[in-house]
Amino acid sequence: MSGILVVAEHTRGALADISAEMIGAALAIKNHLGGPLNVALVGPNAAAFQQQLNLDGVDNIILAPVGGDYFDAAVMEQALCSIIESEQPRLVLIAHSANGLSVAAGMAVRLGCGFVSDVFGVDFTNGQLRAVRSGYAGKVNIELQFPDKPLVIMTVRGATFKAPAVEGQAALREIEVDLAPVEKRLCKHIEYIEAPSSGVDIAKAEFILSVGRGIQDEKNIPRFQALADKLGATLGCSRPVADSGWLHKGHQVGLTGKVAANCKLYIALGISGAVQHLHGMKHIETIIAINTDPNAPIFNFATYGGVMDIFELADALEKME
Amino acid sequence: METRELFWSLPSAGIVAFYIIGFSAIGLAVLGVLRSIRKYTRGQASPVALDIWKGISRMVGDMLSHRTVRRRDRYAGTAHTGIFFGFVLLFIGTSVITLDYDIVQPLFGVSFWKGWFFLIFSLTLDIAGVAVAIGLIMMMLRRALFRLPRLNYLRSYQGETELRKPAARWRVEDWIFLSALLIIVLTGFLQEGVRHAMERPAWAAWEPVGRLIGWAITAADLEPESIWRLRSVNWWLHGVAALAFVATIPWYKAKHMIAALGSLASRDPLALRRLPKAAAAADGAIGVGDISEFSWKDLLDLDACTKCGRCHEACPARTAGYPLSPRDFILDLRLHNNQAQGCKQHEGLLDGGVISADTLWACRMCGACLEICPVGIEHPVKIVQMRRRLIENDNLDPLLRNVLNTISISGNSFGEPARKRAAWTSELEFTVKDVRKDAVDLLWFVGDQASFDPRNQKVSRTVARLLKVARADFGLLYDAERTAGNDVRRVGEEGLFESLVEHNLEQMANAQPFNRIITTDPHTFNTLRNEYPDFGLKAPVLHYTELLCELFAAGVLKVAKPLGLRVTYHDPCHLGRLNKAYEAPRKLLELIGCELIEMPRNRDNSFCCGAGGGRIWIPDQPGASKPSELRIREAAGLGVQVFVTCCPKDLTMFEDARKTAGLEEEFIVEDIAELVARAIDLDEFDLRDLPVLMDKIADAMAGKVMVSVQERLDTWLAENRSALLAAPVPAAAAALAAAPAMSAAVDEAAPVAAAAEVPWAISPYEPVSLSGYDAPAKDGVRIVVPVKQIGQLSDDFQFTDDRLAIMPQFFEYSLNEWDDTALEQALLFTEQLGGGEVVVVTIGPPDAEEGLRKALGKGAHRGVRIWDDSLANADPITIARVLAGFALKEQPDLIITGAQSADLAHGSTGVALARLLDLPSAALIIKAEWDGGAEIQLTRELEGGIGHRVSLPVPALITMQTGANTPRYATMRMIKQAKSKPVSNVELDPASLGQYAAVIRELQLPQANRAEMLEGSAEDIAKKVISIIQQKVGAKA
Repeated sequence: MSGILVVAEHTRGALADISAEMIGAALAIKNHLGGPLNVALVGPNAAAFQQQLNLDGVDNIILAPVGGDYFDAAVMEQALCSIIESEQPRLVLIAHSANGLSVAAGMAVRLGCGFVSDVFGVDFTNGQLRAVRSGYAGKVNIELQFPDKPLVIMTVRGATFKAPAVEGQAALREIEVDLAPVEKRLCKHIEYIEAPSSGVDIAKAEFILSVGRGIQDEKNIPRFQALADKLGATLGCSRPVADSGWLHKGHQVGLTGKVAANCKLYIALGISGAVQHLHGMKHIETIIAINTDPNAPIFNFATYGGVMDIFELADALEKME
Repeated sequence: METRELFWSLPSAGIVAFYIIGFSAIGLAVLGVLRSIRKYTRGQASPVALDIWKGISRMVGDMLSHRTVRRRDRYAGTAHTGIFFGFVLLFIGTSVITLDYDIVQPLFGVSFWKGWFFLIFSLTLDIAGVAVAIGLIMMMLRRALFRLPRLNYLRSYQGETELRKPAARWRVEDWIFLSALLIIVLTGFLQEGVRHAMERPAWAAWEPVGRLIGWAITAADLEPESIWRLRSVNWWLHGVAALAFVATIPWYKAKHMIAALGSLASRDPLALRRLPKAAAAADGAIGVGDISEFSWKDLLDLDACTKCGRCHEACPARTAGYPLSPRDFILDLRLHNNQAQGCKQHEGLLDGGVISADTLWACRMCGACLEICPVGIEHPVKIVQMRRRLIENDNLDPLLRNVLNTISISGNSFGEPARKRAAWTSELEFTVKDVRKDAVDLLWFVGDQASFDPRNQKVSRTVARLLKVARADFGLLYDAERTAGNDVRRVGEEGLFESLVEHNLEQMANAQPFNRIITTDPHTFNTLRNEYPDFGLKAPVLHYTELLCELFAAGVLKVAKPLGLRVTYHDPCHLGRLNKAYEAPRKLLELIGCELIEMPRNRDNSFCCGAGGGRIWIPDQPGASKPSELRIREAAGLGVQVFVTCCPKDLTMFEDARKTAGLEEEFIVEDIAELVARAIDLDEFDLRDLPVLMDKIADAMAGKVMVSVQERLDTWLAENRSALLAAPVPAAAAALAAAPAMSAAVDEAAPVAAAAEVPWAISPYEPVSLSGYDAPAKDGVRIVVPVKQIGQLSDDFQFTDDRLAIMPQFFEYSLNEWDDTALEQALLFTEQLGGGEVVVVTIGPPDAEEGLRKALGKGAHRGVRIWDDSLANADPITIARVLAGFALKEQPDLIITGAQSADLAHGSTGVALARLLDLPSAALIIKAEWDGGAEIQLTRELEGGIGHRVSLPVPALITMQTGANTPRYATMRMIKQAKSKPVSNVELDPASLGQYAAVIRELQLPQANRAEMLEGSAEDIAKKVISIIQQKVGAKA
């Protein structure tokens, strides 16, 4: 009746980085919660990930090999609730991801527990769990607590916590799950659709020039494409630009786009710095942000900033040899 | 007796034939006119009241003076004068002959077409014929040799390289028109000449042209028989040509001879200055989306166009390379209406490609076309009418849609909170009166640009100081002012304009008394002066240039040092051309000792900066030039030191244009107020309020007292130190020192606090019972969409004292973008299914009803608002529990929510709601397909842009991701109309809520880890960027 359960996240045969990051977050408060740090692995082929999850501080890896080879929120909910009811942890960490978001709040309803999403800070003060999330486009940090809740579910923001580097000595356990209670809520899997390919590879690019809402109009895209070409950069964009169909989805940097994993220099033009975009680029060593709004959150993550019109900068860059 | 034989040597059969042809020709002409009249009468009533008698007298004046034709084109004006008056005389002459020959002679047996009358008549007609011929030849030379761009029908501004078919026909038509007239005149003269050659009348000098040609024929020494034959053939040629001309008048270009009379007489003297109010069409939409929705005057305008191309030449949009030429706009409408004949068309005006949306959005509402049109066509008014329908059809630029949304939320186009509207005054040395509290002489309506744009704020402060120096009694409405709406109206968002007018007039009505309104913004000036009176404004409206002139005249402003500058002045369209206020700014410049060098295009011919008509909110078209740059280059060669404006939008546009056109070395751009300030030596005045001075004096005295008290206290303390040693540390300071630092990982060395044991137990959350609400019976598909008014936080916000919330005044509310996507999906489903009901529900205080109204305006059928104050800080699970209680009553087939809200971004409410209702659910949907059946097909969006297609059994709940669709725009009119749709308010029993799933402990400011800011000019920053690139990724750049 104690401890932490981390829910491993995997899609289509790949374990997501957030899984190990959550173990890192859990490790830091494990002592306070006085109990095992367990990792839940759900899916028929999920056992394959146990090695990767056997990290420092993990006591047990609990495997629930149910459902199909695809994500189903109802299967996930049933499997995790079965594990939670048997393990009785105090804290459950789930990724704040497309899959995590599809299941976490539903589990909280079913278990009647404490709940908070998109957490980037968690600790233990005055005998209570405390979580930090942000609001209003990153302008405010909100600290929350969960009085009288024996169980709290949190979804955890990616690329925020550090994964333990050391291997652990976790034991593997398997648990049976009965899907009958959620049968009428199961989905029918049809297919996965690959992210449309656009000839650009954000994940591999070393130098990215990204454009956001500040570009104003689809008609301005060729100009910035030309500028990126001239500078030798790969053209990236933020979600609104891809949403409007101005650039192919393959250019999108961020949570629902690509993470700029190998990038060394990132130039953000007219991007305010929404959480979902930061997810894809805030780790980059050198970031130059140009925005007309001096209070844009991006300036809190950039190495260099310039408060100016991106078109003026483009003018000046185009004129240079 | 001097006269001539009319039907010279014509057999009676010939005469009969001639009469038959004559009557047929007149019949055809009458038929054409009647057909046109029928076409016009199919148009709507004029939306503005027309004073026809005044219109006719103005039209007659314009015709007799020919001022509209001569303007800015002496050559064509002269030629047209010759043709017009010559033609009128020839027409009168022919009518006189008809009167004499066909009416007076048969009836009374006498003829008056003889003797001295005949001689004067003959001379007059000879002169008239010569005038027409010279005019026609001038026009032909102009068309053949001058290569005037305005007469070129090739739409090169649209990238056209080949003349389109109708345009090729226009060219033919133009030549036929000129040639036909010339043939008539020349054959007439030839006939006269042959007559002279044969008859040699004694009074030959009265027909000098005939006499001349007669001599020539005689000199040519032709056979008498040939001359005779020439005379008879030419007689028919002349007669038939003239009759053919008459017959075809209403059928081609010559139609302008009649239509222009109508279009000139029915001009609206306030056209464009005051736009017509919008009447809803049969289907409830406003504006013009079909040719039959134009007024009769509009349809008449189309026929009046002579293709003279003056508007084409004057138009800033066309000049800058945008797809609009006012001439081609009118001609395209005319072609369309030649087919439609004023009847409703299946192929729409807007969707059928007759006029493209880009053409309509290119207009800047500067009025240059309307101003110069010689036949009184009101182009921009038609464009606004069509824009109104584009807005209704949600066919507008996404950025413009954002701006309109912003204006409807915050009352200004800058998206700034209302309380910042008068922030520019805070740097003044004095307090500006608040008209809501104090009566004033002058109410200063500031407008958006002058209130929020930093460069213009400076000007606003200068104007305020000038008024202060002049002891003018003025005040502002402060945060009660909203944008006046001139450009909102010109964009076509009539409903939003009306609500802005309503608001501003209400604020003025509730304010303390004032005598006059002033403004620095010509756009604001125009609408307050010309449009607000239609809604009840009575106070006179002045532009500040007029007021400054007044203040100089009264001697309260005095020039201290004449500036001695060479300047040029740009007439703002809305001040000059539209309101004819050309002189006040020029007078001011003269008063302050500036030498004004006019630009080639000035006063009524001023060239727009490009910002009007809402274009300042629409991105520029790549590849097109900027009208502001074209304009500022016009000033480049004048050798001036200052480019003067008196319009906030101009200042912004030209400050930019000066840089982008590379004219920074040439001259500076300044507002006229800034020059006036230098001339009166504004800096020398002490503008501080007297009470402030008093305060300062009091402060200074208090300071002195404090110092002496402190000295005494110090002495006392020194003497009694021991008595204070035991004083306790204040409790607050101790608490501050003990406050824990927040971090993800707690310091390992810290003592481990054991978790307070709460027994581990689970019991599901349950829906909150909404006993006070009953849903109407279900009739078909029902989709519930929960929506939220989200708060956008301004940058200078403050927390409440308990740090559990943010002070409410720092929020601006709008409909959550994700919910808007969800609503759009629900509306699309009901549209595809051809029925069903979309119910929107919101949890929020009374103000949240605005979000519901917006959703209803977009097409939702019913709204419900649920609230209790205890929900103010509720967590998403609690919100979901309330929504679940509601859904249990509604029993919807689908619930569509936004994936998250833009303010707190929990991303949880939808999924929690699904679980509370035991519904299958899928989150972050980017594509949904549903035929109303038992299954719904969905595509979830995963990280990295991967899609996951699944299907769920219905009823189900889905949460929508943005980008899945483009939410439609609800015009203010649609929102207002939705007032009749039902909205229920449900109060909640707070006792039923129970415990939250999370409670807020404290709000904090995130640690700012600011970037190193690059400073300097664009070039400086670009250089630094390049050097960083070179450091980090090598020399590629």
